[in-house]
Order: sequence, then C-alpha cells, then structure tokens
Amino acid sequence: MEQFFAVLFGGIAQAAVYSIIAVGLSLVYGTARTLNFAYGGLYTTGAYISWVLTVGYLGLPLWLAVLLLIPILFFIGVAIERFMLRPLRRGKNWKVTAMMVTLGLAFVLDNANLILFGAVAKPMPAFIDGTVSIFGVAVSAYRLAVLIIALLIVAALELFLNRTRFGWAVRAVAQDIQGARQVGIDVNRIFSFTFGLSVVLTGCAGLLLSPIFLISPQGGWEPFLKAFVIVVLGGLGSTRGAVAAAFFLGLVEAAVVYELGASWTMPVWLVTLLLVLMIRPQGLLGRGQTEAAG
Amino acid sequence: MTETHATMTSASGATKSPARGSDLIYWSVAAALAVAGMLITDSYVQHVLILCFLWCMVAAAWDLTLGYAGIFNYAQIALFAAGAYATAMLTLKLGVPPLAAITAATAITALLGLAIALPCLRLQGEYVALFTFSVHLAMPPLIQLAKGWGTGGTMGLLGVPPIKIFGVTLGPMNKIGWYYLALAAAAVSVYVIYFIVLRSRTGRAFVALRDSANFARSLGINEFKYRLLAFTLSALITGFAGALYAHYTSVVTPKILGNEFILLAIVMLAIGGIGRFPGAVLGAFVVTILNELLRDAGTYRLLILGILVVLTLLLLPQGLASLKDRLLRPSGKRKTRNTGE
Repeated sequence: MEQFFAVLFGGIAQAAVYSIIAVGLSLVYGTARTLNFAYGGLYTTGAYISWVLTVGYLGLPLWLAVLLLIPILFFIGVAIERFMLRPLRRGKNWKVTAMMVTLGLAFVLDNANLILFGAVAKPMPAFIDGTVSIFGVAVSAYRLAVLIIALLIVAALELFLNRTRFGWAVRAVAQDIQGARQVGIDVNRIFSFTFGLSVVLTGCAGLLLSPIFLISPQGGWEPFLKAFVIVVLGGLGSTRGAVAAAFFLGLVEAAVVYELGASWTMPVWLVTLLLVLMIRPQGLLGRGQTEAAG
Repeated sequence: MTETHATMTSASGATKSPARGSDLIYWSVAAALAVAGMLITDSYVQHVLILCFLWCMVAAAWDLTLGYAGIFNYAQIALFAAGAYATAMLTLKLGVPPLAAITAATAITALLGLAIALPCLRLQGEYVALFTFSVHLAMPPLIQLAKGWGTGGTMGLLGVPPIKIFGVTLGPMNKIGWYYLALAAAAVSVYVIYFIVLRSRTGRAFVALRDSANFARSLGINEFKYRLLAFTLSALITGFAGALYAHYTSVVTPKILGNEFILLAIVMLAIGGIGRFPGAVLGAFVVTILNELLRDAGTYRLLILGILVVLTLLLLPQGLASLKDRLLRPSGKRKTRNTGE
C-alpha cells in the first residue's frame, strides 16, 4: 500500500508537469491553429540546454541557468514561428505543409541532439534530495517541489490570460482571428508570442522532469503525445481543464505502471486517446470553424 | 448520391489531374525502365532502383490520403510495417506460402487501415494527424509486448522466405527478378492511384472534400464514406509494398518504425510536392537515391534529411512538381511563394 501511494504521488507530480506542456500546446493550437510536432523535440532541447548550462559544461547555478534558459527558449520559439510557419501560412493547403515542416523540425532536433549529446541518456541531478512525509507516507521531496512549481506556473498563466490586456488579446485571437484583427490586435505578434511562450513552457517542463526521466534524444515524443491527450480531454484554451485532465490521466498512468509495468504506458495512452476522441469527436472545441480558418 | 461534375471544376483548384494523353507517357516511362533493367548489370544500382520502386508505392499511397483526400494520415509507415510483419509472421510462424502470405498481408493491412480510419475520420483534421501518429508511436512497444505471438520483439524476424513464381525463386540475390517484380507492382499501383482512382468520380470526390468539405457535402457527397475509402485503398497499397519489402530484404525488424523510414517518406512528399502527380513518385526516386548517396554521412544523414524537409517546404512549398509550372510561367510566381506580411 505504501508503495502504491508513492507511485500515485509520482503520477500526480508528473501530471502537473504534463499540464504545463499541455497548456503550451493548446495555446499554440488555439491561436495559430498549428499542430506543432516539434513540441516534444523542443521539450528535449530545453532539457539539454539546461544540462549544458548547469552540470554539463558551464556549471552555472540552477537559478542563473533558468534565467538564461527562459529567454533562449522564447527566442527559439519566436524564430520558428517567424521564419518557418509564417511564410507557409498564406499558401494553399498550409495546414499540411505546416505540420510537415514541424515534423521535419522534430527530426532535425532529435538527430541534432543525438549527434551533439550521444544516445546515452544524460542524468540531471535533482535540486532537492531526500523524502518528505505526507500523512505518514514518505514521498520524494523533489517530486513535491516539482508539483508545487508546476502548479505555480499554471496559476501564473491563468492570471496572465485572464487579468492582463495581452492575455485578453491572446484569448481573443484564439476565439476569432478575424474579429481580433478587426479590433486592432496584431495577430502575427500574438502568434509569435504564444509560440515563444509555448517553447518556454515545454522547455521548462523538460528541465523539471529530467531528474526523473533522464534526458535522451527521443525522450520528447511521449510527453508530446501525453500533452495532446490532456489537451483533448481538458478542452482547448482552458488551463483549469488541462490541469484537471492532467491529474486524471496522471492517476491512470500511475495505476497502469503499478499494475502492468512501464512498457504498457504508451499503449494505454493510445487507448485513452482513442476513448477521449470517441467521447468528444469534434475535439475539444466543437465550434466547427476549421473550414473557415483553413 | 447526387454529386455532380460541377464539384470538380469548382473545387479541384491546384490539383493537376493527369491529362488524358499522359497515359501513353506513363507507360512509356515504365517500359523504358523495363528496358533499362536489361542494360543495368551492377547489382547495387539494381538494388537502389528496386528500393525506388517499392518506395514509389508508399509515397503514392500516402499522397492519395495526405495530398488528394486531405486526410492528415501519419500512420503510413505503421501500415507499411504492418504489411511487412503480417507476411513475415504468416510465412515464418504458420508456414503459409509466400504468395498467399503477401495477398493475406495486403488484405490484413487494408483491414487495419479501415480499423484506424473508422474511429478517427469523424474527427477534425489535426486530431486525425495526432491519432494516426500515435498509432505509429505505439507500434514498437506493442510489437515488443506481443513477442509471445511471434513478432520477434526487438530482434525482429529473420529469414522471411523468398517468393516463388513460375518456377523462379526470387531470393535477395535474384536482383533482376526483383527488379521486374517491383517495377510491375509499382507501375500498376501508381497507375491505379493516379490514373484510375483519382480520375474517376470517386477521386474527384476526394479532392472536392479536401478543398471545400462543406460545399462538397452540400452536393451530397458522403464525406465519411469517401474518406474511409481513400484511407483503406491507401492502406492496401502500402501493405502490399510492405509485404514485398519483407520478402525482398528477408528481414523485418522494429527498425522500420524508427526515425529513418518515416523521415524518408516525409522527405519524399516534401521534395516531390503533395497532391500533384508526379510529385510523390519523383520524390521517391530522388530521395531513395539521395539517401544512398548520403550513406557515408553516417549519423549526419538523418539530420541532413530533416533539414532538407524544412528547407524544401520553405523554399519550394509545392515541391519539385511545381517547378514545371514555375518555369513555364515565371511571371506568375506570386502564387507559389509568399514572403510573409
């Protein structure tokens, strides 16, 4: 029973991080209508950059590394949107080309990481060791810290989207691009910004999870897929929905790992995705506007 | 069913369906390749061309769903692997004769395609992409878990038996035999896709649904039925290619589902151009040969291929197939590339 609670808690802590990834994914999908296949690759890249900044080469303290990491990731995201996606957006059939270009980028990132850092997974030390006792159950202090940090990030995002003018603009674009443009919102700027923000979110998630999963070149596909299931289940553009869905799926995963073993994780997520899509076939949105957007 | 020919004129847009006279050109090219088969003696060149032919089938079948029917299908390599695994397991575990196994594997893959398409084609575009790609991602662990059923796990299946037709044994060493078999299979598959299906009423329905789903529906085109048909047909041809590949290489491993194959297929469509005959077929040739030339680049090969995808899509969004149009009317370049705002 003790062990089950430890697994359960691990699932919850990971789920909180997945919800950060999911919020980033849904921001970009919601505003720019782009499914970014490179999102997992960017997660891994974020983890590698933080590894290089800290234990890998530069030996910077973690707080300084995070301060450097955020602008680097933001810049990467803005650059991808500006130079890779924006030129495609006006072309015919742009959704397919945009998807292909991000899939191409995903393979570029995977292989560049493989060449730069090798196939052997890199360990990342946790910034807190030891265990904390909650209701008499010993849980890893690092996982507890990760849970708290992830929840704080989601709360900050929620505040940003609901309480600031810029956040309103992001939500306006997500609801209706044409309408947003008419009231004077610079839509391209919002696209760039959300793309940058999403890369920051996924990269930071990579940093948070790397002490738990290690960093490997192809390790980003699983979080990417999980984030999408969360987005589908939680509802697009809803940060609270994403958190709820992430926790639900995190518990499912914990139960699966406990009962069946870790190799069942991917098949079970696939089945979950299938079920979710069956229950909500028009996707989270159900607004049937894709035709107009395309 | 009340769809009309008006659908085509109004909605086919950028799609160039092959002109009537091009039948002759198509079969001339196929015949020229058949003649070339007699002249080529280098077994490595033969090998590369056999791979080109098999990849043509995969690229053309993918073009049918992704390019013409507008279905965001990313399970293409998963279906290819399904065809390869089906025939390998049937011959090795059940002792089915190769020709029967290939037929069965083709049918099984078509059914699998149907099974994938049934739940996901009711979804909106991007969800189809995600669902099909997650099928791809889930396959290697599933193969590992189903080891007990004879999938061979991570080791894969070795010694898939050679095909025997008319007393000729097509082993991996019989390059000439394989050259003609692969050429025939590719020529017929590509012909069926581009010249029969896509020229028919069914093919026009695919394109109409892609370009303007609401309008096509309003003309009475059954969206679900046609998309299901496109997906299943594409899976059938892909499974056939996968089964042939398994017998040609005599080895089936989960490596098929690794980075390389899906990346190659994407590069083919990106370079060739989707939804424009002969883009995908041309892409299959260019990329297969390029991939062989890059063998020496080692680990950098996949990186180079990835960069190639990104650059082609940015610089030549419609692929090689659009080059012809561009060269013919250099003044009309507005349509092909937009330099942003």
